[in-house]
Amino acid sequence: MARIVIDQVRKSYGALHVLKDFSLDIADGEFVVLVGPSGCGKSTMLKILAGLEEASGGTIRIGGRDVTDLAPGDRDIAMVFQNYALYPHLTVAANMGFGLKMRGTPADVITRRVQEAARILDVEHLLERRPRQLSGGQRQRVALGRAIVREPAAFLMDEPLSNLDAKLRVHMRAEIGALHQRLGVTTIYVTHDQIEAMTMANRIVIMKDGEIQQIADPETMFERPANLFVAGFIGSPGMNFLSARAQGGTTRLFGEAVPVPPGADGDVTIGLRPEHIEAGPGAVTFMARPSLVESLGSEKYIYFEAPDDNRPPGFLKQSEEDQRGSRLIARLVNAGPVRIGENVTLSFDPARLHVFDPATGKAIR
Amino acid sequence: MAGGRFSLDLARPSRQHWLGYILLAPAVLLIAAIIVYPLIVSVDLSFQNVGIARLDQPRRPFTTANYERLFTSPDFWNACWVTLKLIVVVTSACFILGLGTALLVNNRFKGRSVARLLVAMPWAVPEVIAVVIFAWIFDSSFGLMNWVFLSLGLIDKTINWFSDPDAAFAVVATTMIWKGYPFVSIMSLAGLQSIPEDYYAAARVDGASALQRLRYITLPCLMPVIGVTTVLVMLWIFRDFSIIYVLTGGGPLKATQTLSIMTYEQAFSFFRMGYASAIGVVTLVICVIAAKLTMRRAPDNL
Ligand SMILES: Nc1ncnc2c1ncn2[C@@H]1O[C@H](COP(=O)(O)OP(=O)(O)OP(=O)(O)O)[C@@H](O)[C@H]1O
Ligand SMILES: [Mg+2]
Repeated sequence: MARIVIDQVRKSYGALHVLKDFSLDIADGEFVVLVGPSGCGKSTMLKILAGLEEASGGTIRIGGRDVTDLAPGDRDIAMVFQNYALYPHLTVAANMGFGLKMRGTPADVITRRVQEAARILDVEHLLERRPRQLSGGQRQRVALGRAIVREPAAFLMDEPLSNLDAKLRVHMRAEIGALHQRLGVTTIYVTHDQIEAMTMANRIVIMKDGEIQQIADPETMFERPANLFVAGFIGSPGMNFLSARAQGGTTRLFGEAVPVPPGADGDVTIGLRPEHIEAGPGAVTFMARPSLVESLGSEKYIYFEAPDDNRPPGFLKQSEEDQRGSRLIARLVNAGPVRIGENVTLSFDPARLHVFDPATGKAIR
Repeated sequence: MAGGRFSLDLARPSRQHWLGYILLAPAVLLIAAIIVYPLIVSVDLSFQNVGIARLDQPRRPFTTANYERLFTSPDFWNACWVTLKLIVVVTSACFILGLGTALLVNNRFKGRSVARLLVAMPWAVPEVIAVVIFAWIFDSSFGLMNWVFLSLGLIDKTINWFSDPDAAFAVVATTMIWKGYPFVSIMSLAGLQSIPEDYYAAARVDGASALQRLRYITLPCLMPVIGVTTVLVMLWIFRDFSIIYVLTGGGPLKATQTLSIMTYEQAFSFFRMGYASAIGVVTLVICVIAAKLTMRRAPDNL
């Protein structure tokens, strides 16, 4: 178990800067999730931590020891790979004991530790099988087992759940969480799935283009996003964005005067989460004409056009699936019947608004 | 449908396998004509006392004399011994060279594609040309090898490579190794490239040294490829004729006379086709057994 300090780590492939001054201080026993869109450098950071890639600059300390130029095997870390990297020619038991064997651990100790890990992960009955005779979830468990028998100072996991189907992923998510609770080993977990990040992390690190956007616990990430990118990345469905002009602490949204923080002046981008829009009148009330209604049973997603004055800025297309253009989404719980084309009364609390500077993307508070 | 009622609808589920048979048929017929039929004929010949085989002649009486003679002939056992020596020496050398070069050119470095081409080159050279090159290299008066050895001071007078039994065997083995290792190299390289990078990353995180990664990951993962390749190389040595025939003709003193050279000599120099067929049949049986043994071992490791 160890504290991990990453200090100003940089990485470039020729002219391509994949990581820019990455600094992160991870407490002993913490579960940190690196999250960000594809190609933002998450795996690269993890490989540098593991010693599989060389950093172009910066230092890494694990448990007070400078490991920046240490071989992967000497760093006392274990890694779980996206496609498990189980050796097909070895049995499950041999796979799990491989790291210990390479370190010259006596055979009886290896057997005991493998048994113990197998019991924790509930794979005891699979020990004599080959990896190809296992299901996806079982392989995942064995890959975790291979990491925990080593009893390392830290676990590094690179999208370990992305090869599983949705249901199994939710299950394994909980299982990894429980494992972390039980073992208390410092864990760095990479994913591009914000739900995984929100549910598992003690702290989330959001990255984009090799730069850290925000480091915070899941709650703060959701409630106080530092910039437009974070605001759009966290939450599902994503935050609604509107453009407006602020003056003297007020702006106009849906034709109503709405208070904004005093720092906001001139053009601003306003963020409003779908779940913060409610059915019926409230602090700020407006009428909307739904162009699409999706009912998920307990809740409804209502799509409606933003008013002309508040057309959302075009550049805000955060994620691929989020191609809603100028449409806004309201997520209503226990709303009455809502029909396409029939006006509904909606409202929101102005305290829930997020205000951003459209030029820099930074939050204005 | 355009073809009307005469068309054969192969897309029907019940006829799915028809297309396979239809496509396979010409090849099967061809193989039957050029391999199976001669094979049957030669098995038949091996049980007759035939000089020059002619299909228009009546069958000679059945006899096992060819086999009796074969198993008591010192020449046959000598040929078996030479073939075995050649197989052991050439196969192992081909594997050491082939695997070694494959591991080398699998690394990332400048000029890798050129290096790969050079490694594979001997494979593209026709056998007879390779033999001519080596015949020159080992020529007793103007050969490169004698010159190199003399210049290095390893010998004080030229070696006559083709009149000394051991030297002749060494020359034949060298030529075969040179001709044969690129095949092992190409096959191994293909095998190496199919090993996921993650296995090595995982092993490095687990603290495995380069040698341990070779021993515990690379070699086991290559096992299926190595098995098939061993069989193919072995069979190639069994049946290879041109290299030995052009270099030494089987001599001196039958030191390089393998089973295939012996078969040829009996059939076309001494015109004992029945006897030659018996050698051929025995060689075939040995080949089948050797291939079976090798193939059975290999996939078990994975
Ligand atoms: N060997 C390499 N040479 C050049 N560029 C590379 C190399 N490896 C990675 N990159 C680049 O570095 C960037 C970050 O890659 P990385 O694998 O860390 O992304 P990621 O955040 O893990 O994405 P994903 O979610 O798709 O796994 C990418 O733009 C990629 O193209
Ligand atoms: Mg990645």
